[in-house]
Amino acid sequence: MNSLVFLLVKSAKNSLLELRRKPAKLILWVFLLAMIGGLFVLSLYTRQNTAASLDLIWLQGILFLFILLFVVIAIQKGLMSGDVIFDMNDVNLLFVSPVNSRLILLYGIVRMAKMAFLAGFFILFQSNSLSQGFGVGFEAVLLVLLGFMLAICMLQILSLLIYSLTNGKPRRKLAVRIISVAVFLPLFVYIVVQLIATGDLFLALENTLRSPLAAWTPVAGWAAAGTVSLIAGELGSGFLFLGLLVLSGAFLILYITLSNPDYYEDVLVATETAFEKKRVLAEGQINTEVLSTKKVKVAKTGIGGLGANVFFYKHLRESFRANRFGLWGMTSLFTVLGTALFSYFLRGGEGGILILLQILMWMQIFMIGTGRGLKELYSHYIYLIPENSFRKIVWSNLEIAFKVLVESVVIFSIAGLILGESIGLIVASILVYTLFSFLLLGINYLSLRWTGANISAGLLIIIYTIAVILIMLPGLIAAIVLAITIRNTGVLIGLGVLALWELLAGLGCFVLSKGILHRVDMPVLKTEK
Amino acid sequence: MIDVQNMTKKYGKLVANDNINLSIGRGELAVLLGPNGAGKSTLIKSICGLLRFQGTITIDGRENHTVEAKRLLGYVPEFPVLYPMLTVEEHLEFIAKAYRLKNWEEKGEALLHRFELDDKRLKLGKELSKGMQQKVSVCCALLPQPQAVIMDEPLVGLDPHGIRELKATIKELRDRGCALLISTHMIDSVEENWDVTYIMVKGRIARVCRRTDLAAGQSLADVYFNITEGNGQEDTP
Repeated sequence: MNSLVFLLVKSAKNSLLELRRKPAKLILWVFLLAMIGGLFVLSLYTRQNTAASLDLIWLQGILFLFILLFVVIAIQKGLMSGDVIFDMNDVNLLFVSPVNSRLILLYGIVRMAKMAFLAGFFILFQSNSLSQGFGVGFEAVLLVLLGFMLAICMLQILSLLIYSLTNGKPRRKLAVRIISVAVFLPLFVYIVVQLIATGDLFLALENTLRSPLAAWTPVAGWAAAGTVSLIAGELGSGFLFLGLLVLSGAFLILYITLSNPDYYEDVLVATETAFEKKRVLAEGQINTEVLSTKKVKVAKTGIGGLGANVFFYKHLRESFRANRFGLWGMTSLFTVLGTALFSYFLRGGEGGILILLQILMWMQIFMIGTGRGLKELYSHYIYLIPENSFRKIVWSNLEIAFKVLVESVVIFSIAGLILGESIGLIVASILVYTLFSFLLLGINYLSLRWTGANISAGLLIIIYTIAVILIMLPGLIAAIVLAITIRNTGVLIGLGVLALWELLAGLGCFVLSKGILHRVDMPVLKTEK
Repeated sequence: MIDVQNMTKKYGKLVANDNINLSIGRGELAVLLGPNGAGKSTLIKSICGLLRFQGTITIDGRENHTVEAKRLLGYVPEFPVLYPMLTVEEHLEFIAKAYRLKNWEEKGEALLHRFELDDKRLKLGKELSKGMQQKVSVCCALLPQPQAVIMDEPLVGLDPHGIRELKATIKELRDRGCALLISTHMIDSVEENWDVTYIMVKGRIARVCRRTDLAAGQSLADVYFNITEGNGQEDTP
């Protein structure tokens, strides 16, 4: 036991000491803690507007759905490879050491709780939303975090147990799938019955959430009901449901340790898979397709082009092989469907297409990195191929540019039709969105050029996001001023000016990032543990 | 052919390569030896133009970032990075078309055959074992028939057949007049063919040893351990 306590304490101590050598990381933590502290202090002085708040039952519903997502993930993980509760160094050093395997499992679970806390860290920033939406204070945020952590810990144990019981046993896997559906079936039936009885979806959902069926649904129901009960001051019910979560977790651990003390094999696959992901990243392979277990059929072969444009044809071949819709995968499909649905809800109001444009532009800040052109920078081929650097950069990004252009035409045409917007506004939105993607590519290259690519991935994303905001600001301000001051056509002119700014700023970024292929170290994705 | 003059590479305060001078002529096999962390891979990446540095690196008299220099250079990285969604054959096609090679098919076929990749030509990059990936990486580097070849730990992960063939390929390249720089920890693997050895310690070249410098009965391993285990004198060229 002493060795395990030593490991935990020493690791925690070294993580703290590491901050002395990594000032950027230290600043980030200080900033995060200051923000949480600030939110806490703010919540003490903010009077909660209980009259205008939503009923807590909706918070229970949101929590239920949120945790349900993790339930599905945990079951899927359990059926595939189990959850990661150990690192490869634990496997190599701890598993072979003369330490009781049950104590090692306990050590894994303690580490898991730490991971659950970090996973739920973003909840701490929801104080304002919870306060405005439900009229609750910071203590409610802490209770939500507690419920989330307990549920995540429980789900990780469940995932391990499912893998342990079903590994290599198709019948058992089928049984787990049937049981998983059966657990949630009564709730689904109840919603349908309520919907038929009331004819109102919201009333049906509310009645379901208020019914004992929702609260007694395993894990998601227990965590949601327990947390909300504690927030509402119903201590008995709160402790009952959260206690149920803790007890069932403890029971599962007990079952694993008593029935299967030799669980090492069961955690090995997940640990090795996670380790392999880190290893290939460290070796320069940042393409996630490399670890996909999806069976790929090789039908057509061959690559077109000559010289620098081979990159474009290569990207086409890779994309069409990775999915049947080529450049436009499931993400594109969901984006189109999502925006169409959202447009439907925005009908009748003013500026619907601008709201959509704003949301999609925010998403694009992080989606642009999925293009194959930027990923080329992480392997040696693009540097060594004897072609003009500018041409290599252009051709390697043509795939994402073409993808975005087609996507934006489809998205804004459909949204514009649903919203009944003018053709001018639709075209302007397409222009702004497409040129924004062009600008984002430029900022990506500029961030890499400016930082020399010698910083952690997290810090690089922060620098990139700040750069996007700062570079967009003049164009946005000009667009807003024009939209306000000029009647009728102000919005259209504003969007035109914004598109022009994006084009000019994008060109500027590309010019400033000149030399990215020979004046910067080939980047290595530096991920944190 | 490969000429490195006063080359220094720093990562912040850490000096990974300190004032390196190195020269490899046509038909010369240079071996880069050194303990882990000595700066061998950094030097190799700098020569290939993947890292920025202070100093001058030229390939056949041309600055290493120029298109002309790149056309002459072949590089086998320490870790083979293949495109997961391209087949083995498509990797060669990609290189051939990107380098604007003509009549490359026969050469590509011969390389695939030599490294026993004939039956793997339709396998995707992600479906290959580490050793197979290394073989494809070697084929990609050699397809353009470069005049200067740089290999970073090329034998790691290869099966005995692959090791034998790569050693034979290296000898053929040398005989054909190609300049070779090979970094390795397997001293035995280069014992037969090396011309000059650069032994790196803590970012500096601690010893340049030509085959003719060896005393009777002395092996390359003897020279290496003499330097790295503290008995040798520094000999910066």
